[in-house]
Amino acid sequence: MKLRLRDLTAQFALLPTWAIVVFAYIGTIAWSIRISLSSSRILPSDDFVGLKSYYRLFSTDRWIISVQNVAIFGVIFIIGALVIGFLLAVMLDQRIKGESLFRTIFLYPYAMSFVVTGLAWQWILNPSLGLQQMMHNLGWESFTFDWLARGDRAIYLVAFAGIWQASGLVMAILLAGLRGIDEDLWKAARIDGIPTWRVYLHIVIPLLAGMFATALVLLATAVVKVYDLVVAMTGGGPGVSTEVPAKFVIDYLFNRQNIALATAASTVMFIAVLVVLTPLLYHQYIIGRRRAAA
Amino acid sequence: MTEATDSPGSWAGGTSKSATSAPVDAATAGAADSRAKGGLRGTEPWGPKPTRITPARIGIYAFLVVAALFFLMPFYVMVITSLKPMSEIRLGNLMSLPDAPTVEAWVEAWAHACTGVDCNGIQVGLMNSFKILIPSVILSITLGAVNGYALSFWRPWGANFIFAVLLLGAFIPYQVYLYPLVMMLSYIGLYNSLPGIVAVHTIFGLPIMTLLFRNYYAGLPIDLFKAARIDGGSFWTIFFYLILPMSGPILVVATILQVTGIWNDFLFGLIFAGRESQPMTVLLNNVVNVTTGVREYNVNMAATILTALVPLFVYFISGRWFVRGIASGAVKG
Amino acid sequence: MRLSHHLALLGTALVCLATPVQAAEKAEVLHWWTSGSESAAVNEFKKAFTAAGGEWTDAAVAGGGGETARAVGVNRIIGGNPTTAMQFNTSQQFYELIDKGLLQPLDAVAAKDNWAKVVNPVVLGAVTRNGHIYAVPVNIHSNNWLWFSPAALKKAGVEAPKTWDDFFTDLDALKKAGIIPLAQSGDSWTQQLTFFDVLLGAGGTELYLKIMKDHDVNAVKSPEFKKVADILSKMRDYLDEGMQGRQWNQAISLVISGQAGFNFMGDWAKGEVVVAGKVPGVDVGCIPGLGKSSYWIGGDVFVFPKQKDPNALKAQELLAHVMLSPEVQVAFNNKKGSAPVRADVDTSSMDACGKAGLQLLASGAFVPGSDMLIAPDTDGSIHDLIGTFFTDKSKTSADLVDGFAKIISNL
Repeated sequence: MKLRLRDLTAQFALLPTWAIVVFAYIGTIAWSIRISLSSSRILPSDDFVGLKSYYRLFSTDRWIISVQNVAIFGVIFIIGALVIGFLLAVMLDQRIKGESLFRTIFLYPYAMSFVVTGLAWQWILNPSLGLQQMMHNLGWESFTFDWLARGDRAIYLVAFAGIWQASGLVMAILLAGLRGIDEDLWKAARIDGIPTWRVYLHIVIPLLAGMFATALVLLATAVVKVYDLVVAMTGGGPGVSTEVPAKFVIDYLFNRQNIALATAASTVMFIAVLVVLTPLLYHQYIIGRRRAAA
Repeated sequence: MTEATDSPGSWAGGTSKSATSAPVDAATAGAADSRAKGGLRGTEPWGPKPTRITPARIGIYAFLVVAALFFLMPFYVMVITSLKPMSEIRLGNLMSLPDAPTVEAWVEAWAHACTGVDCNGIQVGLMNSFKILIPSVILSITLGAVNGYALSFWRPWGANFIFAVLLLGAFIPYQVYLYPLVMMLSYIGLYNSLPGIVAVHTIFGLPIMTLLFRNYYAGLPIDLFKAARIDGGSFWTIFFYLILPMSGPILVVATILQVTGIWNDFLFGLIFAGRESQPMTVLLNNVVNVTTGVREYNVNMAATILTALVPLFVYFISGRWFVRGIASGAVKG
Repeated sequence: MRLSHHLALLGTALVCLATPVQAAEKAEVLHWWTSGSESAAVNEFKKAFTAAGGEWTDAAVAGGGGETARAVGVNRIIGGNPTTAMQFNTSQQFYELIDKGLLQPLDAVAAKDNWAKVVNPVVLGAVTRNGHIYAVPVNIHSNNWLWFSPAALKKAGVEAPKTWDDFFTDLDALKKAGIIPLAQSGDSWTQQLTFFDVLLGAGGTELYLKIMKDHDVNAVKSPEFKKVADILSKMRDYLDEGMQGRQWNQAISLVISGQAGFNFMGDWAKGEVVVAGKVPGVDVGCIPGLGKSSYWIGGDVFVFPKQKDPNALKAQELLAHVMLSPEVQVAFNNKKGSAPVRADVDTSSMDACGKAGLQLLASGAFVPGSDMLIAPDTDGSIHDLIGTFFTDKSKTSADLVDGFAKIISNL
């Protein structure tokens, strides 16, 4: 093709990215896989002990619980943030007075360090300090809300706090999407006499697919990397009942000084993400080819 | 370029329409009234401002107000706690209004809280935070924009590979990268310096920035680009004269994401910035994250709200472009 | 970076040439003491170091019981730019750094200042490896204190306990009186602390050392350890539902205000007692190890990573000397609420609880804290086990014994 020279410029423009991809991403991923096969403790060492850390990983109760928790957390968090974010966006899209105020209120949790907002939630949800106590003081003695103290329920509260933190961002993304929809669509729908909820369900949501996808990727990375939320809300407790994989990695990386085990855990997480993403990437690739061919 | 200008014309028309018909505050809503012809009921989007109060609208406001109250619950706790003296907090009535409100904790947090041997509050790190923030935001967005542009229009060799690696990279807990990155940056002499921390933020911002710009540019009509190429536009000419002028909205979105992320970062600042350039969040952490020392919750809360003011201010001033921004690109994609 | 480094060196060199006498020994000190009282304590080091001709550069990083600071320190070493001095707990946390030859031995200073004579042997043992001394111990903290509210006990009509049976009698009475019997934090490190307090108090030092030092699995399966597990199991009935999400300082606050009867916590709890305007040993009672009394030795040390700059060694040795000098030890530990590591200093200004602890120290009834005896990794496994046991009542004391035996047998 004639365009080869210009392609070269494009190639050059991507050089910094190539450098980052090769050194900072592929390099560090390869490094961490290598370390996971060694007996490293605080400092990286270059011996080879095979899959020892992986055996230990999968025989550790805490890791198994972490994996289960991240699945529960992920499902509730993603669905919750998408649904609430969407509802907020639709409501805000109805020519609301003081929209900017509402929007800022829904977005502020995203701007604040969760170390402290998490503490505020912890107080509110603590059975003897917060909501439950307040209701008792008001005379509603039978009111109970002790999920934070219950090993089988606390993870739901972590997901709940996550939804609180993330749904504002989802709202902003989807609101932007809603604003981009051609108003003729609404006119047409009205002329045809289609009820509003059906327009949203069958026309608007499919039109927002791209925005939902962007929001989904952002939420999904947050699920895999969830750490602050758990540390601030429960510290992994009661017991180890709200532990998550990223916290496992970070605990062993820093405090427990076993970077071989930490990198083994992160490698397993990496493989899991790879398995989920490959079909999606392949799909993207096909679309890309079609676009090029068009 | 006739064809090219023709075809962006329709696209730009789309933008301007969505821009003016997407009022963000009530104050600007009037501008769209001319477009919203009468007869619409209030429950439908793009209707005129309602003159009557209908049950449906009451429902909407009720939903929003209840949701807002729920969202503000922790903020309420933080504000009332920051206004109480510690003697009151120790008694344990954490949900009640302060008996004798005082702003002492705010003054303490800003200028007198101990963050080590020194007790000068969190204000010490303010300038450092800006010194890190501004170049990091500019660099990561520039790189993300060029990437998105190159990947979506030029499809250079290895484009899918780059994209796949970056997307995967976005999912790894970044703490795992610390050791190898420290070794690499130390090898090239950037460890413990301002350029070092800027490089680190650029590296970690790259996946999301690339994704954002790539998806946005993928929504632009390819014919437009093809026409520009046939007219002899080079890589950079097309970028600067055609693509960049259309990127205003997405640039603002990217700015908001990066400002929030980089401003709030603590771990990278701590490990890569060097002692002279430590951001405000490192000081915030030293105030807030006490383990066996005496905890001052009122100061913690005040310090956290103070630190969040910069991203909140950015949301505030860029809100209308933020919302308008994502609008044009994505829905078409 | 490199350039500015060279310039700095050049600058230092010039200063040295001009005023050789006043050349300050520069030291960048990494630690995790950032709260008001901690800051005041570490400032004593700074003042003394400055007075001795040094120049203190502060690098404080709070968080996670020091883990963030330690991560920074290790990364600085990996990055080839280590700090002059770096804090660790008196534990095995820094042994790998010694083994890889990254820390400066302090034998010369130790010999000159006669550490072997004046420093507590357990503490000195913890910083000695392969016959060399690698760290300056600066304080002794003790984990095994039982704090109680005399007012709450009075209200319940009982006395301060002498034995574990007394303890449960008191708990029952408190429960009946509508007072939280045992205030416990939900953080797993505090639950682990309670466990070790019971192990040491009910099991005694011999059992403790057999398990933690000799890693004797049979000791874990012994009736004595079963009794410890039973006590711990029974204790769960006296916890309130506010435990989860409560931090250690909120737990001790409940005792200070008389809303709760007891709390297991280290001697740093005194800090909270004092800032609440109460007197330790009077308004809030303290028992150093209920039952078989003994003193659990923990604390903090500073290590000195090896430097490229040969002049840095001078600053390191000066800092080591200053930190252990008698006056600084007293000034620092008074503010920190811990005990000095030297036995030959004036401790008359300590409160009643501190003096009770010193008596135990002087009588020889002390043991090394658990993290001197096991690696952080093992410590973490114990965390997880105890945390689960505390909060999941379906776990029996037999489960605890099995889980603990598994961890010990893996050592």
